[in-house]
Amino acid sequence: MSEHKIFGQDIYWANFIGLMVLTAIEVVAVGSEFSKAMTLFILVGIAIPKFIMIAAIFMHLWGDKDSKILTLTALFPTFFIIVMVLFIGLTHPEATTGLPEWCRPGYYKL
Amino acid sequence: MNKTKIHARSIIVMSILLLAMAFSPLVSSFPTGISGVKDSGCNCHGATTSESVIPTIEGLPEVYNYSETYELTVGFTGGPSTIGNINLGGFHLWASEGELASNDATVQTYNPSEVGHTEIGNDQTSWTLIWTAPASDKNIEFILHTNSVNGNAGGGAGSSGDEWNRLTAKVSAPIEVLEQANPYVVLSTLIVISAILLVITVTYIFYRTNPDSFNWKTFEPWICEWLTSTDHKKVGTLYFLAGLFFLGVGGIMALMIRIQLSVPGNDFLTQDQYNQFFTLHGTTMIFLAAMPLINGFANWMVPLQIGAPDLALPRINAMSFWLQPVGALLIFTGVFSGTGADTGWTGYAPYIVSETAHVGTTMWVAGQIMLVASSTLTGVNFLTTIAVMRAPGMGWMQMPLFTWSILVANLMLFLSIPAFGVGLVQVYLDRVIGTAFYDAGSGGDPLLWSHLFWYFGHPEVYVVIVPAFGVISEVIATSARRTVFGYRSMVYAMAGIGVVSFIVYGHHMFTSGMSPTLRFVTMLTTMLVAVPTGIKIFNWLKTMHRGSLVYRTHTLWALGFLVTFTLGGISGMFFPSMAMDLHFHESYFVVAHFHYVLVGGTVFGFFSAIYYWFPKMTGRMLDERLGVLHFLTAFISYNGVFWPMHRLGVWGMARRHHTYFISTEEAMGSLPAEAAGWNMFISVSAFLFFFSNFLLIANMIKSVIRGKKAPADPWGGWSFEWMTSSPPPTPSFGHFNHGEWINLPTLKDSNEEHIGNDPSPLVKWFQSLMVLDDENEEVNN
Amino acid sequence: MSGDYHGDDDHEHQSAWGPHDWSHGAPHNSWAPIIMSIGIGIFLYTVASAYSWGEMVDPASIPLIFLGLMISFFGMIIWWRQDASFDGIYEPRATGTPFQNIQIRKVAMWMFLMSEMMVFTSLFSTYMRYRLGLTPCVEIYESGSWIVNSQTIDSGEAVNCFLPASELIASSWFHIAPGAINTFALIISSFTIVQALRWAKKPVGSVDEEVRRKRVYRYLGSTWILAIIFLTLKMVEWFVGFYIPEIEFLGLHEHDIVSLVNEGYTIHADHYHPHHGWEDTHLAELAAANPSEFEEYFANIASIEGGYVTTDAVMMADIRVSTSTFFVTTGTHGAHVFIGIIGLTYMTWKAWTGGYTPQNAVSIEYFGLYWHFVDLIWVLVFPFFYLY
Repeated sequence: MSEHKIFGQDIYWANFIGLMVLTAIEVVAVGSEFSKAMTLFILVGIAIPKFIMIAAIFMHLWGDKDSKILTLTALFPTFFIIVMVLFIGLTHPEATTGLPEWCRPGYYKL
Repeated sequence: MNKTKIHARSIIVMSILLLAMAFSPLVSSFPTGISGVKDSGCNCHGATTSESVIPTIEGLPEVYNYSETYELTVGFTGGPSTIGNINLGGFHLWASEGELASNDATVQTYNPSEVGHTEIGNDQTSWTLIWTAPASDKNIEFILHTNSVNGNAGGGAGSSGDEWNRLTAKVSAPIEVLEQANPYVVLSTLIVISAILLVITVTYIFYRTNPDSFNWKTFEPWICEWLTSTDHKKVGTLYFLAGLFFLGVGGIMALMIRIQLSVPGNDFLTQDQYNQFFTLHGTTMIFLAAMPLINGFANWMVPLQIGAPDLALPRINAMSFWLQPVGALLIFTGVFSGTGADTGWTGYAPYIVSETAHVGTTMWVAGQIMLVASSTLTGVNFLTTIAVMRAPGMGWMQMPLFTWSILVANLMLFLSIPAFGVGLVQVYLDRVIGTAFYDAGSGGDPLLWSHLFWYFGHPEVYVVIVPAFGVISEVIATSARRTVFGYRSMVYAMAGIGVVSFIVYGHHMFTSGMSPTLRFVTMLTTMLVAVPTGIKIFNWLKTMHRGSLVYRTHTLWALGFLVTFTLGGISGMFFPSMAMDLHFHESYFVVAHFHYVLVGGTVFGFFSAIYYWFPKMTGRMLDERLGVLHFLTAFISYNGVFWPMHRLGVWGMARRHHTYFISTEEAMGSLPAEAAGWNMFISVSAFLFFFSNFLLIANMIKSVIRGKKAPADPWGGWSFEWMTSSPPPTPSFGHFNHGEWINLPTLKDSNEEHIGNDPSPLVKWFQSLMVLDDENEEVNN
Repeated sequence: MSGDYHGDDDHEHQSAWGPHDWSHGAPHNSWAPIIMSIGIGIFLYTVASAYSWGEMVDPASIPLIFLGLMISFFGMIIWWRQDASFDGIYEPRATGTPFQNIQIRKVAMWMFLMSEMMVFTSLFSTYMRYRLGLTPCVEIYESGSWIVNSQTIDSGEAVNCFLPASELIASSWFHIAPGAINTFALIISSFTIVQALRWAKKPVGSVDEEVRRKRVYRYLGSTWILAIIFLTLKMVEWFVGFYIPEIEFLGLHEHDIVSLVNEGYTIHADHYHPHHGWEDTHLAELAAANPSEFEEYFANIASIEGGYVTTDAVMMADIRVSTSTFFVTTGTHGAHVFIGIIGLTYMTWKAWTGGYTPQNAVSIEYFGLYWHFVDLIWVLVFPFFYLY
C-alpha cells in the first residue's frame, strides 16, 4: 500500500481538509457579487482540483503500484465524453437558420 | 505454386463478384426526385395542423350500391383562408376501395384511389368529384386532407401560416363485411404456439437424453439447474435459445408486414396495427434476437478461447441474462390487445411522448430500460474478463480474433448504451410522472432524443456486426487451414471501427434539422468508417487466397457473408453523402441496406458460428447435408427478399408506410406498376426464407439427440476452445480449490507457430504499464 | 446439455439460496438473478400502470409496486446470503497484462464506473443543451417582451424559458445551506469509508481484533449515517422546507425557507411566476424607448415612477424543462446514493459481525470506489446545478 503521509500529515486527513476548504471557498464565491462569467470560471476552477483530489487520493489513483493502468482505464472515456458534450450538449437545432447564405432560399436571383 | 495454373476457386470467387456488380441496381431517378415532390417544390401541407380547419365531405352514402357512381363535394371551412387571398386552399382525398375520378379541371386523379386539386383548383374551398363504388362487398374508408391557405408568399412555396386538417369517413357495403382475420389473433396464436413448441422441444430433449428417469424428481433439479446456473456455458445456451426463439418471433412480425405489403392498397393491417408490427419487428430483431445470439456465443467461447475457467463475474452474468426475458415481456405488453408500442424501434420524439402513442409504449420503454441494464452488466463482465483472465502467455496480440471482436463490441456497447438509458428514463418519466423533457409545448427539444438515441444507435449496429466479423475470421482461417492474413491490421481495424463509430451517428439525422456543422462533420466521418471495414474484407479474401479452402457448411455461410455484407456495405456508401441521403432517407433503399448488413452480415455470421461451434457446445456433429440444403434455400430466398428492395427504394417506396399505391403515370406518392409485382415476389421469398430456417432448427434438434459424437477438434482449429473436450467440463479450465487456481492452461499448450507475433512498439509501451516483474511474487494482500 | 458439470471436483453441489462455501470459488448456482429480474420487471410495470402523464390513474397498482420492490429485495437478500460468508479466500487476481495482479473485482468496478461516467455525461449534456438552447427567464423578464406578448397571469399564457434552480437556491445562505451541508456530508463520508478500509486492512497482530471490528463497524456506520443525512436534507430541500426561528443573541432573524416544490418549482409548473424580485430598471428604459408597445400595458396595469416600473402584472413562465432537468439529474445522483445506502446496510451489518479481516478488506475498497465516484459526481452537480 502506498505512503500514507504527506507533509508529515496523514494523507487522507489532509485531502479531506483540503476538500472542505475548497467547498467553503465555492460557497462564499457564489454568495459574493461576481459576474456570471466570473462565477462560472471560479466554479470550474474549483471543481477541477476537487475532482482530481478525490480521484487521485481517495480512489488510490496516485502513488499505488496499480495506479497507472487504473488511471488510464478511468481516463479512457474522456474522448467519448468530449464527443457527447460537443455533439449533444453544445449544439441546438438550426435546420435552416444555421445554413450558410448560399444554401438558403432567396440567394439566387432567378 | 504454379503461376500458370488457374484455381477453380479463384474463378468462382471472381465470377461471384462480377455477377454481383452486374446486378447492381440501375439508378434511374424520377425527374422530380424520389419523393415525388413536384417541380414547384410545393409541400401541399402547411406547417401545422389546426382544429380550426374543418374538412367536409358531402354526397357519401352510408351504404353504397354496387358500382354506383356518386358525386362527392369535398371542402373545408376555417383556417387562415379568406376571400381575396391569392390562393384559398387545396385537398387530397384517398378512397380505400372503388374508383375516384375528376369531372372538371380543378381536380386531378393520381390513381384510382387518390385525387387532389390542380393549380387551377387552388382558388376555391370546395371541389366536386366522382366516386364509383366497387362491385363487391368491402368496408370503405375515405381519408381527406384539406389545406387552408393564407395567401402569403412565405415558407416553402407559400406554405408558411397555412393550416391543414384531416377527416376520415366510412362507408359500408350492402352486405355487412365481417372483420378479416384480426392480425393480433394471428400474431398471438403464432407466438403462443412457438412458446409451447419450445417447451415441448426442451422437454423432449430432456426425455431423450435421460429416457430412464423421465419423472419430476429428476426434472426438478434439471430445470432448477438451468434457472439458477451461473456457468458461462449454461448461460450461453440460455441466451442462444432465447435469441433463436425471438428470431422466429421477429420473423413472424416480418411475415405479417410482408403479407400487408404483398399487394398495393392492402387492408390486412390497418395503419395503426402496421405501426406496431414494424416497431416490434425492429425491436425484437435487434435487442431480443441479435444481441442474445451474440451474447450466447460470447458467453460460450470467450472464456474457452482465452483459457479462463469462467467469466469474471458469474452471478452478474446470470443477472444480465435474466433481465432479458423479463424485459421482453414488458416490451411485448399491449401487442396482443392492439395497444403495443407504435413508435418505430427508434422511438422518435415527440411522438413517443404524445398521448396518441399507445399505452404499450411506456411498457416498451420500461422493457428497454431493463435491457440497457443487462447490456451494461454484460459489457462490464466481458471487458473485465478479457482484460484480466487471459491465460498466462496470452498477450493482447495473441488473442483469437473472435475474442477481440467481443472486446471491441462490448466496449462500444457499454460506453454508448448509457446515453440510450438516460433517454429512455427521460421518456419513461415524461410518460409516467409528467416531466417535460420532450414536450414541445414547454420548450422540450425532440432532437435531444434523436441525439441520445443515435449516439447509442450507431455504435449499437456496429456492436451487432463486429462479433460477426470475429466469427468470420475464425471460420475462414480454420476453413482455409491457415492463419488470418494480417492479424494486427484486423485488430487495429476493429479498434478503429470501435472508436470512429461514436462520431458518425449524425448520418441518421441528416434530415432532422440538426446543426449543419454537425451534419458536415458526420458526413466525413461516415465516409471514413468504411475504410477499416474494407481492410478487413480484403484481409479475408487474402486469407482464402493463400490457403486451401475446405467447404463445410460454416465455410459456405462465411462466403455468403462476404458477398452479402459487402453488398450491404456498398449500398451503405450512398448514405454518407448528405445530398443523396435526403432522397434515400425513409425509403426502401435504407431497408435494403440495413437488412443486407444485419441479416446478410450478423445473422449469416451467426449461422456460420452455429455450424462451426455446435460440435463444441453439444458434443455432437450437425448433419452436413441438411446444412448445405439450409444454406442454399436460405441464401437464395434471402436475396429474393432484399435485393429488389433496392429498386423499390429508388422508385420511391417509403418505409414505415402501411401501404403503397401504383399508377401508370408518375404521380405524387405512387410507384410504377412493376412495384406491385416485386412486392409480391419479396413477400413470397420472405415466406420461403422463414421456412428454410426451420431446416436449421430440425438439424439442431436431430443432432442433439442422435448426431455423431464430436471429437475435441473436428475442424482442425487451433485456438484454446479446441484443446478441451466437446462439451467442455465445468469449470471450463482449471478450478479453484482453497485459495488456489489449479490446472490453468498456458499458451504453450496450443500450437505456437500459428499464433506467434512479436509485440509492436505500441504494444510494448502498453505492456510497460504492467506491474514490474519482481512484484509478481506478491500474491498475498 | 453440457454433460458432466462438476468436472473433477467432488464437492457437494452448493445451495443456490446461500450460504456459500467460497473455498471452491464463486457460486455456480444462484436464485438471486432470476428473482431480482422478475422483481424489477414488476416494479417498472406497476409504476407505469399506477401513474400516467403525472397523474395517478390506478391506485390499485400501488401495492403491486411494493410487491415488485419486495421481490427484488428478496433477490438481493439471497445474493447477500451467498456473500456473507465470503472471507477473502477467493479473491482472484488478474493474470493478463497490463492488469497483472490487480484484484479482478477492482478492475470490474472501474469498468462499471466508466459506464456510469457516460450516464452522468448524458444527463449533463441534456442540461447543457437546454440551458444554452432556451432563453433564460431572467432575460425575458428584463426585456419586457412578455408584456408585449401578454404572457401574464391575467391572460393565462406562459413563456417558455429556462429557470435554473440556482435562481432559487443560490438566492440566500439559508437556501444553499442544505446543499452545502450535503457537500460536506459526502466529503466526510468519503473520508470515513477510507478510514474503514484502512482499519480493516491493518495486518493481523498489529491491532486487537475487537478494536478492528469496532472501528470498521463505526466508520462504515458513520458513512451510512452521513448518506442518510444527505438524502434527508435533499428531501427537506425539495419537499419540506424548514423554519428558522428568531435567535436574538445570534442576531438571527426568523426565516421560513420554503421548499422547492412549495415555491412552485415543480415538474408540472407550466405557469410559474417568480417570487424573487428581478431587476426591473431595464423595463423602464425599454418602456421609455418603445412607448407605443407598452402603451396599452401602461394604460391598465403598470406605471413608471421614479425610473422604476411598478406593476401588478406577473410574468408566467413554463419552466417544466428546467425543473425536469434539475430534478432528474439530482434525483439520479440521489438514486445512486440510495443504492449506496443499501450496500452500506449490508456492509455495516457484516462489519458488526466481524466479517472484515485483512484478507477480505479489499471488498470495502470496491464499494469505496463506487462511493467516491458518487462524491465526484456531486462535486460536479453541486456547483453547476445549485450554484450557477
